[in-house]
Amino acid sequence: MIVVEALILASLLAVLVRLAVGPTPWDRLLAANSAATRILLLMALLAILQDRTLYLDIAIVYAAISFLGIIIVARVMERSGGIR
Amino acid sequence: MIAWIFIGLGCAFLVVGTIGIVRFRDVYSRLQASGVSDNVGSTFLLLGLVLLDGLTARDAAILFLIALLVVTNPIATHSIAKSAFTNRHEEDGS
Repeated sequence: MIVVEALILASLLAVLVRLAVGPTPWDRLLAANSAATRILLLMALLAILQDRTLYLDIAIVYAAISFLGIIIVARVMERSGGIR
Repeated sequence: MIAWIFIGLGCAFLVVGTIGIVRFRDVYSRLQASGVSDNVGSTFLLLGLVLLDGLTARDAAILFLIALLVVTNPIATHSIAKSAFTNRHEEDGS
């Protein structure tokens, strides 16, 4: 289980590199989306590992709020042509 | 045993998607790598977490999380792709 968590943490760091160097704003947005998914999986793994069900509820709320943020930022960038 | 097969499959999909996000050269290629592999990998990983021990109370929360991800992740990917496709003329290089 520790190996799985380390693998997802390394994947999160690689996605954050793409979020830092992405050439276009849409690259940064999709990297933020992928990073949110990986953080959510880390929360679920930690909930199973430490046997705390509360983290799963936090993961559900985090999924809903990150989805809302991604949709709003994508709509604003579609209207305004990207924030450079 | 089958839970670990599911978890390993989910980890493999996530790592392949990460390689695609880092190494591809186009926005749409990166979107394809991100959208497909994130959805399948997270679904497999959470299904493995459901199957890891017997039927407990937290399995309902994980199943609800899987349903939420399966509904919302393609919508977010489609929204980013539509936003990038609408503004493709102002894009420079890459």
